[in-house]
Amino acid sequence: METLIETLKNQIIDVLNLEDLKPEDIDAEAPLFGEGLGLDSIDALELIVLMEREYGIKLSNPAEGKEIFKSVASVADYVSKNRKK
Amino acid sequence: MKVISSIEITPEIIGNLSEYYRRNIGDYPKFFKMDGLCKTGFIASEILLQSLPADIKSDIAIVLFNRSGSLVTDRKYQQTITSEENYFPSPAIFVYTLANIVTGEIAIRHKIMGESSFYIMSENDTGLQNDIAMECYLTSNPSMVLTGWVEYENDEDFYAHLRLLSK
Repeated sequence: METLIETLKNQIIDVLNLEDLKPEDIDAEAPLFGEGLGLDSIDALELIVLMEREYGIKLSNPAEGKEIFKSVASVADYVSKNRKK
Repeated sequence: MKVISSIEITPEIIGNLSEYYRRNIGDYPKFFKMDGLCKTGFIASEILLQSLPADIKSDIAIVLFNRSGSLVTDRKYQQTITSEENYFPSPAIFVYTLANIVTGEIAIRHKIMGESSFYIMSENDTGLQNDIAMECYLTSNPSMVLTGWVEYENDEDFYAHLRLLSK
């Protein structure tokens, strides 16, 4: 799980252009939206694309997304249980 | 018409856009999400507007020009939708597939409420740009007009010549 969390941190920094952040700056348990990383709605869409492109996970239920994208740790947990690639 | 101040930026003058941002601005992480056109306009406007008081800034009108619109980003977005096997349209790129987004980014940064527009013209004609920009005074009464040329091809090839005008 630690490796997946590190991979996700790097992927999030890359796809969301968080150039001023390093993986170690991101607390795996911190909220991704609002406080914490302060991501916005476009970032949320980009994360959905990331899930499909990198892990073959299609998210169709918006309510589900709220729980999945709570933190890097929750994304890693969901990916580990649902990944298709 | 009075030219209050003006600024020109090129790679030769300011170096790399992101490095310039880190060295001289550094308090607006959204900069890194912008496309090249917005980064170019953002840096140039930052130099012109940073010393102005907020009440003056809030009434500025923004009228910008270039030749290629958002073509660089349009092509980048196209790459995300070209392949059937690798069809992953990028929302973060898509939002910059309009040239006038650069006027919005500047307005958000400086809390500017005045009118804004973006024109495409074939040549960088400063006189014509100033004439069009000053037409803002026919319909509203901005404190100043931020106008000029903003063009971005890549990190080694960008140019902005912005001016603050008043009546």
